[in-house]
This record gives sequence, C-alpha cells and structure tokens, in this order.
Amino acid sequence: MATDRKADVTWQGDLMSGSGRVDSVTSGAIGGLEVSWSARSEEPGGKTSPEELIAAAHATCFSMALSNGLAQEGHAPEQLKTSATVTFQPGEGITKIALDVAGRVPGMDEGAFQQAAEQAKENCPVSKALASVPEISLSARLEG
Amino acid sequence: MPRVQREAQVTWQGNVARGSGTISGATGAFENLPYSLATRIEKPDGETSPEELLAAAHAACYAMSLANELASAGSAPEHLDVRATVTLDEVEGGSHRIVESELLARARVTGMDEAALQGAAVEASAGCTLSALIEASAKVTVNATLEGGTDGD
Repeated sequence: MATDRKADVTWQGDLMSGSGRVDSVTSGAIGGLEVSWSARSEEPGGKTSPEELIAAAHATCFSMALSNGLAQEGHAPEQLKTSATVTFQPGEGITKIALDVAGRVPGMDEGAFQQAAEQAKENCPVSKALASVPEISLSARLEG
Repeated sequence: MPRVQREAQVTWQGNVARGSGTISGATGAFENLPYSLATRIEKPDGETSPEELLAAAHAACYAMSLANELASAGSAPEHLDVRATVTLDEVEGGSHRIVESELLARARVTGMDEAALQGAAVEASAGCTLSALIEASAKVTVNATLEGGTDGD
C-alpha cells in the first residue's frame, strides 16, 4: 500500500534576499520553520535547511532499516544512535552524506553489526532515493 | 563558495515493529521528534517520518530554486506556495521504495506570463539539487500555476 507524506513551504522574494518557511506537514510534527539562502549556505543561526531535513530523513530511515536487519538476525538493538551529515556545495549540489551509528546490541559481534549496517545503508528507501549522491559513507561501531 | 555541512541525530530503541526513535536537527530548529514504523506506513498520528522529512526538504529546495529562476527571468516572486508529496510504496519482493515526489507550486509574480512561469518551473527542478538526486531513481513531477496574474488572465 502506498503512503503519501506532504510538506508545504511558502517563499517571498528572490533567492538571495528573500525568505521562506516550512509551514506544515502531513503529521503536524513540524511547522513554522524558517529557511533562507544565507542560513542554508552560511551560518544556520538556528534555521533548518533542505540539507538538514535530508540528513534527518536519511538518519531516521537508516536507523529503522538497521533495527529491522538486526532483529531478523535475532538481535534487536537496545539502542542505536545515528547521525547523518549532508555536505552541500553551493553551485554543485549535495556531494556527500556521512552516516555514523553506534549500537548497543546484546550478543552481537562487531563484524555482524558492520555487515547489518552496510545492508541498511544500501537498502533503506531514502538511501535508494539518494543513491546518486557521489559519496555515501558509513561508520558503524558497537558500544557498551 | 565554501561547502556547507548539516547534521541530524537519531536515537532508536528496540526492533522495527515495536520500537521507536527520535530525531533532532543540529541547528536546533527541530528537536526530539518521535517516529515509528506504524506511524511511517499507516496513520501518522502526529509523528513525522523519513518521507515527510524528505518532502519538507524537497519543497524547501524547490521553493528556493524557483525563486531564483523567476528572478532570473525578470521578476522575483511576491509569494510562492510549494507543496511536495513523497510517495513510499511496496515494490516486488516486499521491500519499500520511494517512487515519486510530486511538486505543486503556486506563484504570485508581477508581470510574468504563463509560458515564462512554466519555463522557470522546469528549470527550477533541474536546478534543485534534491530533484536531480531523486530523479535518478524515482519520478519527480512539477505542476506550476500563476495566481493573481497581471498579464490579463
């Protein structure tokens, strides 16, 4: 079954001096988030940007896929801490996404965890959608 | 221009079916938003999801790109409304894929005609880094309309 999620953004003015807002989304979880070109390409000053939202989309998707892969091997994670860092080169585009995950997974060895993380990186829907990013890196380790 | 990095962090607990996570952006613009599998693929129930965050990213990226194209074509927009709808679907083998992101734009632009808007709308998707990425594996559609045009319509 297909699932749709939508987001509404408003913008006023030109790119350099104008400004916009992520007004609302399907779930209502976020809204009223301001965006601007200067906050996107220079110091964020507390404002989100397309790249931060992509980082959020990728980190959430990857974590869910990894928890699924680990559970299928009989090792549901106690906790995964994931960060995604998106690198944006103005004029060129998104050049890199770096995924970093630290997992607390009882009874699992490092090699199996690395392998599950690699699988999640390859197969989560956001990874598939962003597969043409020039570099997607992964750093995975067990903790505790 | 120097490169820019933006980061987000997730904490996830438990297996995929019954576990849950939270997401925060490093800028502080959003913090500890909960999400789970059930709210991702069924009713959202107030919780965001990877696809919703991607829709927000795409709408914001496209709005900026369209503002830039319209200004280049002669007039900066007074107001743009951009909606992105991202569709996640089950594909053969039972796995899920993002199959489409649909962009709807309404523009209030003084002195712009329909043809110029349509041209800018297409250029704007080509110029939005996220459109180009998604198009490599899924469908991106763009639909743009003028509102309150001053070109006699």
